[in-house]
Amino acid sequence: MIYRLRHVTTYAYAHSVDLAAHLLLLTPRRLPHQQVAQASLTVTPAPSHMTEARDHFGNQATRVFLDIPHERFEVVAEALVEVRFPDAPPAAATPAWEAVAGAARGSRAAEFVFPSPLAPLVPAATGYAAASFPPGRPVLAGLLELMGRIRQDFAYRPGVTGPNTQVAEVMEGRSGVCQDFAHVMVSALRGLGLPARYVSGYVRTRPPPGGVARRGADQSHAWVEAWLGHEHGWVGLDPTNDILVRDEHVVLAWGRDFGDVSPLRGVILGGGAHGLWVGVDLEEVEGPVPA
Amino acid sequence: MPDPAAAPPLDEMVDGRGGVRPHWRTLLGMLGGMGEGTLAERARRLDRAFEDEGMAGVLPGTKREAAWRCDPLPMVLPAGEFAALEAGIAQRARLLEALLADLYGPQQLLSEGLIPPDLVFANPGFLRACRQEGVAPAEPLLHLYAVDLLRGPDGIWRVLADRTTAPAGPGLARENRRLLARVMPEAFRGAPVRSMRPFFDLWQDALQRLAPLDGADPAVALLTRGTHDPRWFEDMLLSRELSCALVECGDLTVRGGALHLKTLQGLQRVNVLLSRLPGARLDPLECAEAGTGGVPGLLDAARHGAVRILNAPGAGLAEAPALPAFLAGLAPRLIGEDLLLPSVETLWLGDPAARQRVAEEPGWRVGAEAATRPPVASVVPCVAGDGLEPRPVALRMFAVFDGSAWRVMPGGLARIGDAAAQVGALPTQGLAKDLWVLAEEGADIIGPAALRLPPLPIRRAPGALPSRVADNLFWLGRYTERLERAARLVRATQARISRGVVLPREQAEVAALARCLAHAGFPGAEEVGGYSAAQALPGIIAAAMREGGPLPGLADRIAALTAMVRDRLTADMHATFTLTLRTARTEMLQAGDGLEAISRAMISVLRFATAVAGMAAESMVRGGAWLFLDLGRRIERAQAIASEVGFALDQPPARIEGGLRLVLELCDSIITYRNRYLSVLQPAPALDLVLADESNPRALAFQLAAISRNLSEVASDADGALPDEAASLLAEAEAMVALVIAAPDQAVAAAGLPPRLEAVAGRIAALSDAVTRRYFALLPAQQTLGLEGAAPAMKGAA
Repeated sequence: MIYRLRHVTTYAYAHSVDLAAHLLLLTPRRLPHQQVAQASLTVTPAPSHMTEARDHFGNQATRVFLDIPHERFEVVAEALVEVRFPDAPPAAATPAWEAVAGAARGSRAAEFVFPSPLAPLVPAATGYAAASFPPGRPVLAGLLELMGRIRQDFAYRPGVTGPNTQVAEVMEGRSGVCQDFAHVMVSALRGLGLPARYVSGYVRTRPPPGGVARRGADQSHAWVEAWLGHEHGWVGLDPTNDILVRDEHVVLAWGRDFGDVSPLRGVILGGGAHGLWVGVDLEEVEGPVPA
Repeated sequence: MPDPAAAPPLDEMVDGRGGVRPHWRTLLGMLGGMGEGTLAERARRLDRAFEDEGMAGVLPGTKREAAWRCDPLPMVLPAGEFAALEAGIAQRARLLEALLADLYGPQQLLSEGLIPPDLVFANPGFLRACRQEGVAPAEPLLHLYAVDLLRGPDGIWRVLADRTTAPAGPGLARENRRLLARVMPEAFRGAPVRSMRPFFDLWQDALQRLAPLDGADPAVALLTRGTHDPRWFEDMLLSRELSCALVECGDLTVRGGALHLKTLQGLQRVNVLLSRLPGARLDPLECAEAGTGGVPGLLDAARHGAVRILNAPGAGLAEAPALPAFLAGLAPRLIGEDLLLPSVETLWLGDPAARQRVAEEPGWRVGAEAATRPPVASVVPCVAGDGLEPRPVALRMFAVFDGSAWRVMPGGLARIGDAAAQVGALPTQGLAKDLWVLAEEGADIIGPAALRLPPLPIRRAPGALPSRVADNLFWLGRYTERLERAARLVRATQARISRGVVLPREQAEVAALARCLAHAGFPGAEEVGGYSAAQALPGIIAAAMREGGPLPGLADRIAALTAMVRDRLTADMHATFTLTLRTARTEMLQAGDGLEAISRAMISVLRFATAVAGMAAESMVRGGAWLFLDLGRRIERAQAIASEVGFALDQPPARIEGGLRLVLELCDSIITYRNRYLSVLQPAPALDLVLADESNPRALAFQLAAISRNLSEVASDADGALPDEAASLLAEAEAMVALVIAAPDQAVAAAGLPPRLEAVAGRIAALSDAVTRRYFALLPAQQTLGLEGAAPAMKGAA
């Protein structure tokens, strides 16, 4: 599936900002099953300095520095991306979850077993997940069941949680948004010793029958990748939608939790209060990828 | 296995048969020659020396008071023993560098399973912002390395802790040596003690050498946590030893991808940053721990080679408590050598077998990730009362990487007391000893030759003065002058009310003084009427001296500012400021209601102000620091003269004489007037002397001329608006006096001046504000975006 991506972020400040530094994780990752044909970032006002570097997790990080006074800051990220993640292996063919946990410590996935600031070990979350992982169960079978339960047991309710909402609060309130569900699932899996990472990106909204996708209706999205052992590697699981990641998601970046992959963060001097507008379009492109 | 804690400690000075070890003999011989009680006296002198240096804080009872003390007896290491430690410390530093280079690079050690992933990924010291996938980190990551060592009953030195973040202590070690040499000069005679100076010379060169390649004449800055941090004193000492700028995060800015220092002359490039902050606090863009502090973009500037941060921000990773358990195994793999200097027994508690051992065996100290079993520390003699007492000792030693090799300081800190217990603590507290390293017989004790730098270009212009420092000096000048004015007002008032009744001809003067006191911030003075003044004013003055009153309050602000500009003052200046201020403040607080005692306290205040003025005049180069100290003082004094002369002249013309007398007294100009005009008091000559005479340092004109001069010097050729305003004020002062001289009735003309004087005072206040805005760049607060503001961005598309 080929998508044209357009993600616009706009900050408007009450007072002039004299100096600003922003860290952007807005360029889709190049992956074996995600081809990035084009990618661009347009920043207004024009930065006085701009750098590109890969971060610790291999994500493409852009830093922009502005030293002219401005009252509005806008980033337009555009990309043309082809995604076709392979089908997950049959759940029954994956190793027992205890074996995956045992193999994790000596692997490259080890980092994602440890708790992190926004996905700490929460006994309530671990206990919740444990019900899907009886002894000897194939890991993917447990993961699919856990994902389904989260979709069923937690209400999707924007506005009740914020970016710093803790997993314990979400377990308590049983509601939140994609970021909260991803943190719950990551935290729960780590509690069992299973490597899990937080993925930031986009999902297409299914257009209504015969209609077209509503522009600006889509937003930044977040889901989970879990490790199935050396043979099968990582698999993407979207607990907000209860689907495996195949060809409806575009991956921006991954990390331990939202704190590692916030798409846009910054430090500004001045500015006072600010307003923020975000709009995302992820449209399917018909036909061959333009060069 | 026997409990190692059960063995008796080794005595550093006395061997097992009761004989004094050879390397202590010279020192002991010297002690034998000292009279009874001399050692205790030296200990007291050493304490006082530290206090005078400002280590003990400016004011008694303030938080900055550090309980750091030095024992007059050094700890002695023979040459051979130091050589062994030197080799071990340098090797350990190389090992940790190799370890950091791997963990911030390819992470082979993790792939090979040589250290558990917990030590890296569950370690808050692992800064992900300092690693890039597929990119090797810039080396060196370690530049300054410190190690805490203790010696067990078996005679072997073992490492208690490795310090790699921003190790505290090298400056304190140097300070201990300096003060010990002053207080115990005879101890150094005949003892071949290795000097520390060559080490600091090498260190200074190393910082230059480690600059990124692009710049000639690299600029080095030492980044301190700030004047409120207990480590600030040491940072200041270090910046002096290493001849580099002492800066705070707020002094720095990243522009165009490079690091700059904000100075009065604009932005100046910084190539090497010797950081005394934990790496996670350096850059709010990269690390959430920095909050809204730090320098945005600093890590990116380092990442792209525009600045070298030493130690590298992520170097604290090597302090992981469980790491020592793996170092002996890592040494052959990383540097192809066996570990020379062992750690104290350490177990990583992530290993079930280790947990079991810790539960079954005695003597383990259990932490969150690791358990250690340090041996009983060796003991050294320390001064206790009039005698000596053996107490446990731990060494903190230092090494610096100079670009090609590690250099170990021939000296360090020997920390005394519950040394073994407080290993983790900063050496800013407690008792320490100077660590003596004896030179080998006939050895060259000078050390290797320092790097030869090209001759420096001669500079006379003021160096880089950070705006923050200029701001502090400006207010130090203002507050010092304000305190002095208050003392003069109190004295003038006391002279008129001490008899209990006010003479009729002095009624008007006392009323004017009450207005001056109210203007100077004495609570209650504004309500004082003519006849009740003699009753009310003593209480108002006494209240102003008490804790929480305006005068001790000013003294505290001056003390705080003195501490903040400590790095711009010589040791003598600092000691003079501090001692005289402390005396004045103590006398104020103890004065109670006693007129006599208050009067003595005011004399002490004037003595303090005179000391500041004298030191500034005689010991400060007429550059940026002096300019702003003087500017503050002149602006404050000009404003006060204009206001007070206005109050004094606000009389019916018939009673102007009393006002003139008061004006001359407050401007300390009575004697000059008498010398010029004998005893006839007339408005024009008196006002000429206090308003228009540029040669009288207590006259308004003198202040305005100085302000204009200072401002033109600071502003260079940029904008002349500020000096022009000062010159225009000077013209106004002359015009006022000219008006009185030309008037048919001088008294009437003088009595009409107060509104004009008030206007002048207002313009001076506005000028002060303009100076603040122009030079001290009051920056708005830094705020972070993205982590708190992204809520709407995170809706799912389900």
